[in-house]
Amino acid sequence: MYVRHGAALAAYACSFGLDHSSAEDVVHQLFMKMLGEKPFTPRAPLAYLYRATRNASLNLRRDRRRETDLHDTEPWFVQHSSGYEQAINLQQALKELPEEQRETVFLKVWSGMTLSEIAEATETPLNTVASRYRYALEKLRERLGQHFQKRG
Amino acid sequence: MGPYDEEMERYLKEFRPQPIRALEAPPRPWRKSWRRLAAAAVVAGCAGGLFWFARRELGLSKETTRVRAPDQSVLSERQSRTTLALTALALADDKKFEAILAEESRKSLPGFRGEQSTLKVLAKD
Repeated sequence: MYVRHGAALAAYACSFGLDHSSAEDVVHQLFMKMLGEKPFTPRAPLAYLYRATRNASLNLRRDRRRETDLHDTEPWFVQHSSGYEQAINLQQALKELPEEQRETVFLKVWSGMTLSEIAEATETPLNTVASRYRYALEKLRERLGQHFQKRG
Repeated sequence: MGPYDEEMERYLKEFRPQPIRALEAPPRPWRKSWRRLAAAAVVAGCAGGLFWFARRELGLSKETTRVRAPDQSVLSERQSRTTLALTALALADDKKFEAILAEESRKSLPGFRGEQSTLKVLAKD
């Protein structure tokens, strides 16, 4: 699970304003907690991990409120054909999405869950999840339109 | 549930999250403490054993000392035996008794014939 979803979780943590190193720490701590002295398996592990990553990232971000935001130019993604600039644009666009939409995009695109699985894991009606995803992709297309068309 | 932008989804999938460093094995502090506890038990056992052994040895030597210590009753018995013998000798052979007394007094009483003797000074006075 760590190998398959760890990187996506770290990128998700970055979307709350953490640098990649801190995001890694957040994800590590979550897995350590799950595998630690009192191991536990949540009912929907992936949804739990995304929610826990969100909460931990927000807490860490709040604690570091006064620190200067210097990591906006640090890429959370790698894209071999397009490069650094498009990765930075994508992460900026993701940051601007409402939390629920962003979570849905991460779960669908980078954790490979179906919309039905997301609905079950997040205890949200399927139609709501589908709408969130559709709106999120529309916003991303608007935001990334220029780069997206260049590529097309 | 309406259709979504699959082209956009494919585009997003071209991006891969930055690789994350390997997960380190979770620390098991209780294992370490068990080891420490076991080591402490061994050390405490050894110390206890040594203490017990040392105490036992000391106890024996005390016993030995007690056995070897001069017995006052035996001494007094010896003394009374000497007194009895001397009394018997005094009754039986007076001269021999006097000779023994003179000899014993020479051994046990301080002499006053020496140049530095305090007794000599007192005797003169």
